Amino acid sequence: MRPSIEEQLKGTCRVLENVVAPCVNDPMARKILDGLIANLSMLISALPAVPGFLRQDNETTVQLLSTLASSLPAELTARVADTLDKPEPDPVDVAALDARNASLRELLAQAVCIEGLSADQQRAILQHMSERASRAPMRYVATTPSLPPSVKT
Amino acid sequence: MKATAMSRTKADVHAVDNDVDVDHPAAQVANGMRSLISAAIPSAGEIVLTDLVRSAGGLSRENWSFDATWTDDSGVHKFPLMLMRDAAGTLLNTERQREFSVLKALANTDVPAPRVFWIDKHGRWLGSPSIVMTRMPGQCDYMVLNSSSPLDARLKLARAFTGLMAKLHTVDWQGHGLATSLGLPEGKPSLHELSYWEAEYRKAQLEPHPELDYILAWLKRRAPRAEAIVLVHGDFKPGNALVEGDRITAKLDWETVHLGDPLEDLGWVTNPVRKREHQIPGHWERREIVAAYRQLTGRNVREADLLWWNIFSCWKLSVIQLTAVAEFVAGRYNRVFQTPSWLYRPMFQMMETADSADSTDGAFGEGSKP
Repeated sequence: MRPSIEEQLKGTCRVLENVVAPCVNDPMARKILDGLIANLSMLISALPAVPGFLRQDNETTVQLLSTLASSLPAELTARVADTLDKPEPDPVDVAALDARNASLRELLAQAVCIEGLSADQQRAILQHMSERASRAPMRYVATTPSLPPSVKT
Repeated sequence: MKATAMSRTKADVHAVDNDVDVDHPAAQVANGMRSLISAAIPSAGEIVLTDLVRSAGGLSRENWSFDATWTDDSGVHKFPLMLMRDAAGTLLNTERQREFSVLKALANTDVPAPRVFWIDKHGRWLGSPSIVMTRMPGQCDYMVLNSSSPLDARLKLARAFTGLMAKLHTVDWQGHGLATSLGLPEGKPSLHELSYWEAEYRKAQLEPHPELDYILAWLKRRAPRAEAIVLVHGDFKPGNALVEGDRITAKLDWETVHLGDPLEDLGWVTNPVRKREHQIPGHWERREIVAAYRQLTGRNVREADLLWWNIFSCWKLSVIQLTAVAEFVAGRYNRVFQTPSWLYRPMFQMMETADSADSTDGAFGEGSKP
């Protein structure tokens, strides 16, 4: 399919940078526009990585919940078991992967706050969360405020 | 010729407002300010606002700069003013009255801060809660400590920032009656602040964040006691100050001011993720800042307590970013932020360090590691 999503995003950034931005004189509007362009640029590389990230995160979150299950209260253990019993969604269905991820992470949010987890379980939690943070595909892009064309020399 | 938005905001609004769309923010501000001045000074006439410009800074409020001239019973007056107006989408849900009370109190201290003129508490004149204050001299540069200025000048400024923090922490808030307007934290100030920001977190939360819940539980278990209750700025950074040479002319942005633990501000400026703003590599780092603060205030600074406040700073920053995400999704905020996953690993590392520091019970400058 052409233009591809990447080509459309790249083209949109180019037009915003080269055609629209030079005409924006208001400092506030320019600052906002710079941020939007930077975010669109980030999405060009982040978007293709999202399905793979969700698949892997679902897999490792299931593993971690299984590791924690023995220390959880009965009610939470039952909910974890119910969720883990459900089949994994179609690996190319991003919306389903995202919904599954939200269910698993909701359980994880409760499980990690349970008192009395062992040192090994705590280590497993920190390792999972640190690795996930390092793999997160979408990140905020800080922008250096650019001067509007009217004040550029 | 049709005026552009920029030419309208920069123009003498009083002179051109017949041509300006009344719904344009600049026209709203100009009309609102004239009404506010008339209400505050009934004898005021010939009210003219010039050079009305909205500044690009400010994540949580609109900042408008202008000169105001009017004539009243006592003569002609002209003041350079700033209007801080709540934006439609705001990252900080704060009350203007608190900020106004503190700025009024600070006028009688040696803490440099803008003099406040008026407050529009409920947005009756300006459309949303607003404060009008003097426009102070100086430049605002959040990277001023790592600018191209000579090292000596930057070091002098860095010491001045820590000196200003120490000065703020000695303000006689009881004598100024600030407990009434700010409220005194019940119990540990650390838990009080955590409770406030937890409520903000729950309001902003669009999806589960196990990492933030895990850190929150850790913070609750480890909340330190305060050595004293002081006036805390809440967002103490070079980017919230005006500077002329090596002198701080004004500390700005007091919307998160409150009574609390002095280590809260110190934890904010020694937070490792904000090093580039607060520190000068090799010359003015965490150890030097803490040592200077201890010398100026005579306070003990327990390493584990300061680390708690460092982690709290990152956690609070995460909540502010999640608020931006929620406001953007709701269509009230025009900048895109992401889930603050970049803050998680520094917090985990500090938690591990704090756990080991807690067992040594050390204080900075007394042989313990920084």
